[in-house]
Amino acid sequence: MTKIKGFIETSFIDWPGKVCAVIFLPGCNFRCPFCHNHPLLQNQDKLQSFLLSDILARLNKFKQWLDGICVSGGEPTLAPDLPDILLKIRSAGFKVKLDTNGSRPQVLANLFDQELLDMVAMDVKAPLEQAKYNQCAGVMVDLDLIRQSIALIKNSGIDHEFRMTVLPKFHSRQDIMLWVDNLSSGSSLKLQNFNPDDPLDPTLHQESGFSPEEFVELTKSIGLC
Amino acid sequence: MGVVMPLPTERKSKIKSFSKADSTDLALFVRTSEEDITGWNRQRIVDALLRETFVDPDTADRISLDVEKTIQNGAVKTVTGPLIRELVNAKLLELGLEDARRMHTRLGMPLYDVNQLLVQHNKENANVPHGPEATNLTLAEGIKKEYALLHVFSDDVADAHLKGDLHLHDLGFIDRPYCSGQSLEYIKKFGLNLPHGLSMAKPAKHAEVLLAHMVKFAAALQSHFAGAIGWDAINLFYAPYLEELSDRDVKQLAQMLIFEFSQQAVARGGQAIFSDINIYWEVPKHFENVPAIGPGGEYTGKTYGEYEKQAQRFAWALFEVYKEGDALGKPFFFPKPLVHITEKLFKTEGHMDFLNHICDVAADKGNTYFVFDRGETAKISECCRLSFKLEASDLEDAKTPWRMRYSALQNVTINLPRLAYRAEGDDTQIFSLITEQIKLAVKAHAQKKDFIGKLLAMGEGGPLSLLAMKLDGEEYLRLERCSYLIGMVGLNEMVKVHIGQELHESDEAMKFGLKIIAHMNIVCNKMNEKNGMKFVLEQTPAESTAYRFAKLDMAHFPKMAKKVVQGDLEKGEIYYTNSTLYHVGSTMNPISRVEREGLFHPLIEAGAITHVWLGEAYPDKGALTDFVIKTFRHTQNDQIAFSPEFTCCLDCGKTSRGLSQNCSYCKSEHVDGITRITGYFTKLSSWNKGKLGELRERYRNEKRFVEKAV
Repeated sequence: MTKIKGFIETSFIDWPGKVCAVIFLPGCNFRCPFCHNHPLLQNQDKLQSFLLSDILARLNKFKQWLDGICVSGGEPTLAPDLPDILLKIRSAGFKVKLDTNGSRPQVLANLFDQELLDMVAMDVKAPLEQAKYNQCAGVMVDLDLIRQSIALIKNSGIDHEFRMTVLPKFHSRQDIMLWVDNLSSGSSLKLQNFNPDDPLDPTLHQESGFSPEEFVELTKSIGLC
Repeated sequence: MGVVMPLPTERKSKIKSFSKADSTDLALFVRTSEEDITGWNRQRIVDALLRETFVDPDTADRISLDVEKTIQNGAVKTVTGPLIRELVNAKLLELGLEDARRMHTRLGMPLYDVNQLLVQHNKENANVPHGPEATNLTLAEGIKKEYALLHVFSDDVADAHLKGDLHLHDLGFIDRPYCSGQSLEYIKKFGLNLPHGLSMAKPAKHAEVLLAHMVKFAAALQSHFAGAIGWDAINLFYAPYLEELSDRDVKQLAQMLIFEFSQQAVARGGQAIFSDINIYWEVPKHFENVPAIGPGGEYTGKTYGEYEKQAQRFAWALFEVYKEGDALGKPFFFPKPLVHITEKLFKTEGHMDFLNHICDVAADKGNTYFVFDRGETAKISECCRLSFKLEASDLEDAKTPWRMRYSALQNVTINLPRLAYRAEGDDTQIFSLITEQIKLAVKAHAQKKDFIGKLLAMGEGGPLSLLAMKLDGEEYLRLERCSYLIGMVGLNEMVKVHIGQELHESDEAMKFGLKIIAHMNIVCNKMNEKNGMKFVLEQTPAESTAYRFAKLDMAHFPKMAKKVVQGDLEKGEIYYTNSTLYHVGSTMNPISRVEREGLFHPLIEAGAITHVWLGEAYPDKGALTDFVIKTFRHTQNDQIAFSPEFTCCLDCGKTSRGLSQNCSYCKSEHVDGITRITGYFTKLSSWNKGKLGELRERYRNEKRFVEKAV
């Protein structure tokens, strides 16, 4: 069974409008230079592991507080036993939210078919333009797969959100407008400002996110806040 | 920082020029405390002794001769009044006249200390900036503190304070009560009519004028109380003035109110008024049928129940202003908004939107305090967590709300870990030591009450004329209705000493902690009956007390204290955990913290709070709303606040989330942090060492990947 490599009992951040717990599955097929969860891809053997059964037993005490469990990573769709993990969470009486980079639409389709998801958040790293996407994901990305995932999520009929971490070095205003265009109406969109503390690519430590005013202005101008 | 001005090595005294002009018996000049220089006159020593002490004339004469001789032998040309006084005191000591020596003693500070003070920043209270007004405050406080310990309190009480068994808060404000919570109705009805005021203002006709009156009254109160000045149901009591105002004007008024209070650092001691505003979305039940007072102090013909919409408009606008922050987007430190979460709130239209709105502010700026009034409870809250539960007599007052005013006269905090050191593991002993300490605190309270009572009895001609004013027939300070606070520091460490585990480490530890606080509560109740005074437990904010107790215990009980004090021993950044809180660093999720700390809250009548430290994380406002509602429904917790952290750059002026060593925008290292110190937000550069030690250990509920133990 896939090892769980990170665990937060209570999060106010990971599920809009809900108090949830978060588990982190290791490994990722992307290498986003601004990634903050990089211990999960580089040093995962050094990290303490948690058993899902222990976690669920522990969270049972907080059932009247927790609206669900967010499964994050890394990239959780890489875990071969993901459906099993989600089923166990569901059987324990918790709702499920999945964080994904959308690179494995066939896995998503399967999860939708099995009705294992209550909410999906997909990181769409950049506008759907090859060079830009490769730069932001840190690897060569097959954009068709990304497009398929977006379509699947949009047509799933469940709560979902598309997110993008933005930093001025990678994302121009035009890029961001284009991104909004790509994902268009009917979906909740969210920008996250880059935080220079401890990114995967250490050279980005010297970079800055958008200033607070710029960021507010940016999100307002594209109707996201 | 860190610059100390050199003391002048040689003082070129003016008096040298006329040192030969006089030829009394002793060619000596005295610099007196009345700022003049007179010739030596031995009789003045005798006069002072006869005036200030019970020494007989012959002894006084003999002492004066002895002192004269000493000075003659010293072959100096000038002496100061204080030197003569100390020489006289030394003689009194030699003669075993200890009482007389105390009565004749002089209060003040050494030159070295004054020099340090004028140059160095005083960090006892992070709300005091550094400047001439602030040093005035500290100097005055220094003398009043000495006065209090010598003259107001008995020796056993004063010694207990000095040894660190307990802490008498705000000794430098010995001639004032501790804090005050009141209603805007007082100035709406009576105008601004203060004793010895230069002019009297009739009741305000316009909202802005009412604000001006409120700010001035708050400033007047600040100079008569040591601590917080709180206002009840502020949005409701403004409501009758808002009917004619556009939304824009209401927002403008909200902005003026918040900026006025947040920038009052030009007041006493350069210290911002520690101000609190209580806010309700609904019209509280006890005000529903109360006739409303409007412009000109006249009844409007409506009840407050009919002003719900106006009150809501103002509440909404206030939080819009909090959300925007100051000109640089930084959170406002004052006034602190305390929103009451009640059963009626959930039955009031628009409550979810309002909760999301105030949670948005909590997530973004951290300002919002959530005060839970479950069932029929009604409270007014202020200070870092203090609250006054409204009793039957108060609810009677609510029908004429200008009469509603609450004061705690004094706060005495007990050093719990020290009692555990003394009990040496014996259960009977630990409970009996607690009882004894509370009795001593009660004695301290009675002594302060006696002292304030005397000042107050001097009426409008006395020093507390403002508190003695009787515009509504009763004195502003209703001494017989005051509360007396008994606080605690370091329950967590006490439990650790006594049973070997901290509160979060086992159910047994937690149960023992609850027993201790329940015992304290019972003892307080018994003392109430016995003394006819109202003693209530409060979670002491203990901004500096947590540090002071830890330091004193390291000096007096080093072996035991070393094992339990928190923080960094090497850096001297040590502290005890505040009140009944759990160890700030325990990796406990916010749910458990709110639930488990909340178990103490029903026992702590005068106010308790749980802090949820957020660190750099930017929470979702909906998630916070959800959490707040569940806290109301599922726990006994009294009050919670979410505390984010910020770094503000002193070079580029930008504010970013989280505490960092350098600005995340311009990378400058010239930055200051902002977060909640105890019950309020302030800049890290003003924190004392103990609090800095605590800050490093606060658990922020952030993601962490734990490396395996090797």
